[in-house]
Amino acid sequence: MDLSVWTEVAPHVPVLLRGLLVNIQLLLGLISLGLVVGVVTALIEVYAPRPVGIVAGAYTWFFRGVPEIVLLFLFYFGLSQFGVPVSAFFAAVLALGLRSSAYQAQIFRGAFQSIPHGQMMAARALGLGRLRAIVHVVLPQALRLSLAGWSNEFSSVLKDTTLAWGIGVVEIMRQASYIRARNFTLTLPIYVTVALMFLVLTYVGNLAIGLAERKLRVPGLEGQR
Amino acid sequence: MKVVGVAVLMAVLLAGCLALGQPKYIVLSDIAWAPFEWVSEKGAYLGFDLDVMRAIAILEGFEIELRDTPFDSIIPAIIAGRGDIGASGFTITEERALVINFSEAYWDSNQAVVVRAGSGLDLDMVASPGRLVGAQRGTTGSFWIEDEWVPLGVTLVEYETYPEAILDLLAGRIDGIVQDVDPSKMAVLQYKGQIEIAGVVDTGEQFGFLVAKDDPKELLPRIHRGVATLKDLGVWDLLIEAYFGPSLGAIESAWEKCIDILLVDRDPLRYAQCLTAELRP
Repeated sequence: MDLSVWTEVAPHVPVLLRGLLVNIQLLLGLISLGLVVGVVTALIEVYAPRPVGIVAGAYTWFFRGVPEIVLLFLFYFGLSQFGVPVSAFFAAVLALGLRSSAYQAQIFRGAFQSIPHGQMMAARALGLGRLRAIVHVVLPQALRLSLAGWSNEFSSVLKDTTLAWGIGVVEIMRQASYIRARNFTLTLPIYVTVALMFLVLTYVGNLAIGLAERKLRVPGLEGQR
Repeated sequence: MKVVGVAVLMAVLLAGCLALGQPKYIVLSDIAWAPFEWVSEKGAYLGFDLDVMRAIAILEGFEIELRDTPFDSIIPAIIAGRGDIGASGFTITEERALVINFSEAYWDSNQAVVVRAGSGLDLDMVASPGRLVGAQRGTTGSFWIEDEWVPLGVTLVEYETYPEAILDLLAGRIDGIVQDVDPSKMAVLQYKGQIEIAGVVDTGEQFGFLVAKDDPKELLPRIHRGVATLKDLGVWDLLIEAYFGPSLGAIESAWEKCIDILLVDRDPLRYAQCLTAELRP
């Protein structure tokens, strides 16, 4: 690759960054959806009566078992068949967010189960209801323990957002294809640039999660694992 | 200043009211296939298909919203009711005609075979046993290789996009690429001295616009009338002159200078004349 090629790439960087912003918006939407639904699913799987637990299990089985690109098509084209005209962006958040919730549920489930059962019994003995015991005793510890696994999920879904161009979301890959369509010779350098942008983004994101982990650490808690 | 502001506001409101009375249709296009449709350096959607659509909408009194959609998703989107018109250099095929309706053909496009410059390959040599020939997935080029050349012993290699195929050609992993004539010429222009057109295969293929099956919104008659008017006015030939030949950069700056004549003054003929005048040396 010629060095002069990079001077040709430079003017396209703002356009790529504009695309990247859409990826970040997708990420924020899908990961918060996944977080809420994931915690609830994990709680159901661990604490709810068996029939309800089975439903939650089937949910995670479905969303972990279907390829992401298929989920995207199902949500984008499928919902409109039922008269729900979702935008491509919203369909992507929904499909990728629910998929992520199934993975996040597994992270949280593991964390919930790692809290010794004795704590639950002790909390109940002190007069806390089951729900309050979960919220005040189990959840704060479990969420801290989940952070390491969660940073993994973060890096994974961040990159998944690039699949959204398959249903027409104009994010970074789509912007890259626009540039490529009018400058064939820049194909490779543009993708190298996209890769670098994601490397920086995952690095910064994981750094932030690592800081949060250290900040939220409770001395002595780790020993219980 | 204030008077100007009020006047602008009035004009916007008036335009809004006029637009309100017109039906709006969503036009789907994979806007990454110059010179039929592409995104300019500044982010504008332009190209032959798109300008033709804009002009038809003006002549026939409807509004359009251009929506960029990956090529493979356009037909499913129209079936699912997510768009009204497909304008993306679609080859008319019987298979596609089973699920959507085509307009009358508006473009003849044959397939060019691109090879590495200096490889000395001609058409017959590319279409011979043991050769690896690339094409974009789902395009006529790939169907052509599959149907005509694979029986001769050629191996088909498919790519998501045309530029990827060119990279592999340059890397020596394939011997040739089959793609429509106009994008092929564009590629040869960009990779000067590295690739060349070995020959053109006469596939007799034609492009059409597409709408939902049985045309529930009765768009085809309007598209046909629009195309006929454009041809009568001479706009059609001027657009061809503007879009097929000059470099993309030159087209973009001419388009930027002239596009208001189409979008604001709503005058297709003066727009096309402006475009070609800007591009003539």
